[in-house]
Amino acid sequence: MPNRPLSRVCYVEDEEDIRRIVRMTLERIGKMVVEIVEDPHLAIERMISFKPDLVMLDWMMPGMDGPTLFRRMREVPETQNLPVVFITAKAAERDFSELRALGAAGMISKPFSPKDLPDQLRAIWNSLP
Amino acid sequence: MNQDSAAASVDPSANPGNSADPQRMLAERVEQLYGQTPIAVAGMLGVAVIATYGLWGAQFRELAPFWWGVVLLIAAARAALYAGYRRSTDRAANPSQWMRWLAISALASGTLWGFTGAAFFPSRVDQQHVFLALLLAGAGGGGIWAYAASWPVFTLYAGAIAVPFTYVMAATADRLSAELAFLVVLLFGMGVGIVYRLQRAFYSARGVKHAYRDLSDQYASLQTQLEGQMEELMHAQRVIALSGRKLALFAERAPIPVFEVDRMATILDMNAAAETVFGYSSAELVGRNLLRSIVPAEAPVLNDGWWTNFVAAKQPEAGVRAHCLRRDGIEVVCEFSITPLVNEDGDLISAIVQARDVTQQLDAERVKKEFTSTLSHELRTPLTSVIGSLQLVNSGALGDVQKDIGELTEVAERNAQRLLDLINDILDIEKIESGRFSIVSEYVELDDLVRESLVLNRAFADRFGVRLMLRDEPPRIKVHADRRRLLQVLTNLISNAAKFSPEGEQVEVGVSIADHRVVVSVDDRGPGISHEFRSRIFSRFAQADSALTRKKGGTGLGLAISKLLVELMDGQIGFAEREGGGTRFFIELPLRETAEAEPG
Repeated sequence: MPNRPLSRVCYVEDEEDIRRIVRMTLERIGKMVVEIVEDPHLAIERMISFKPDLVMLDWMMPGMDGPTLFRRMREVPETQNLPVVFITAKAAERDFSELRALGAAGMISKPFSPKDLPDQLRAIWNSLP
Repeated sequence: MNQDSAAASVDPSANPGNSADPQRMLAERVEQLYGQTPIAVAGMLGVAVIATYGLWGAQFRELAPFWWGVVLLIAAARAALYAGYRRSTDRAANPSQWMRWLAISALASGTLWGFTGAAFFPSRVDQQHVFLALLLAGAGGGGIWAYAASWPVFTLYAGAIAVPFTYVMAATADRLSAELAFLVVLLFGMGVGIVYRLQRAFYSARGVKHAYRDLSDQYASLQTQLEGQMEELMHAQRVIALSGRKLALFAERAPIPVFEVDRMATILDMNAAAETVFGYSSAELVGRNLLRSIVPAEAPVLNDGWWTNFVAAKQPEAGVRAHCLRRDGIEVVCEFSITPLVNEDGDLISAIVQARDVTQQLDAERVKKEFTSTLSHELRTPLTSVIGSLQLVNSGALGDVQKDIGELTEVAERNAQRLLDLINDILDIEKIESGRFSIVSEYVELDDLVRESLVLNRAFADRFGVRLMLRDEPPRIKVHADRRRLLQVLTNLISNAAKFSPEGEQVEVGVSIADHRVVVSVDDRGPGISHEFRSRIFSRFAQADSALTRKKGGTGLGLAISKLLVELMDGQIGFAEREGGGTRFFIELPLRETAEAEPG
């Protein structure tokens, strides 16, 4: 369990409406500082400057999907140790078990409940070593 | 063969089993002998008249009444015997008896003539001696004819004539008499010899006749037998022709392509469906190699190497899927069943190749998959936004909302959630049924899982004013199951129970072990399951009361999914009426490991 509360979250998502809802949820309900990235290709750069506690990745995005981005993050020193939570509409558990082996922290399935999202993230955060 | 039968029939003792058996031969000889009787008796009377005339004199006159009495008596006896024989119904069955009677009558006749000669000879003049000798020789000679069918009878007859007469003549001691006596003996011997020969001839003739009749009989019976066999053969041929026609019809009228090919895969015959599917006429393809005609050479199956292996193995192949080319170049995907036709020596004669055009089926599967994927992603993504937005509004995180608006956004959220549940349920069912659904089994602490399901559903039950509780402290037990899916099933059962329980009642969940199975039961005090609904309760979109559904929600797919899931975990799901009202739903899972026997 990390020695500080979860406060900075970076979310990479191509869908504008979901971005808006997640931002509102995490800011209003979760009282967190949120950085939303629209284009996965710019994500790593933005993460390096934002320095999040935790990263949320959408699974399916045009251009680059979540798992690919995740693997890229593992190659960059500044992002390789960031805990990553996948948001996915696909109940692709088998794929996820592979990513968990690579170090993914958790998975939240879409549609998630905004009300519960901050708590879900905190639970994952608290379960980290 | 004919010669053999004839030869066998000549000797009656050689083959007692065949038709020339001694009994029958004897009966025929008796018949023959009796057949001569009327003429023989008439001859006897005629000779008696001639003798009376020839021997007439003082001595004969004295003896005439007595002699004629004896002649008539013997004639009458023979006539009576003849009549008796003719009237007898069993004469063929008892020929030896009739033969004996005939022998006695022959002896009597012979004796008559013998003693006639002996009695009248001594007192006669030479002329009359000659007459008498001639008479007796005639009587004896007539016997040859009359008794030809039996040499012993003739011997008796002729002996009875010859012995007294010879004796008397020998006793007379003049030269002529001695010569005559010698002559009589000679004639007697010759007569017996002739009759013996005649009888042999009789046997041969009869034997040949019998053999011929037997042959005719055998021929007739063979003929009948042959006709029967011919009829059977014709029938069998008709049956074969009919089944052949039936088979041909099976192939010809089959809605799928059927080919017959030889061991080199050369097409011998093909049906109309094959013409339709592959676009070739039968005339174009028959005589050509099937594989090279419709399967591209680079195909991984049904190529020349594949066929060589098939011919070597001679084992039926099924479900061989290959991309084939029609005559017009369009690709069709076919599933082939190839059955070798092997003869008694184990040689492959030909093979029946059936093809099923699965192109459309594959297209349909692809469309279905695309549809499912669309449903999964394209519907759920906007719903995420809808539900998320409404939840944010309804949570109050954005500040207070005007009461009317709040009510409406809650209605919107609830119904959006319902729509999402429905989509999720349909996707679940589709995935399970298409076999793309995999159960991730692990050792699950069942008691913990049951407690978790109670916690998760407590808020839902609160909405209906229903309390959830554990019936007893559940035993510490592990089952091998998919944790998430088992939780889904329990949630389904518990939420159903809560939905259908009257307000203020409680839903009891229990865990028990019975007969190597773990049973989780969920008991409610609801209205029970009506008889009409029982049979389709686990069917899709099955809801007992649609008015209630609208009020309390639910897609009607929950139990159908639960059943599929439980069965995927080798378990069973069921329900029973509960004493005191309500229903018990239960799932049974195989008991694999107890907590003590946990691996690792």
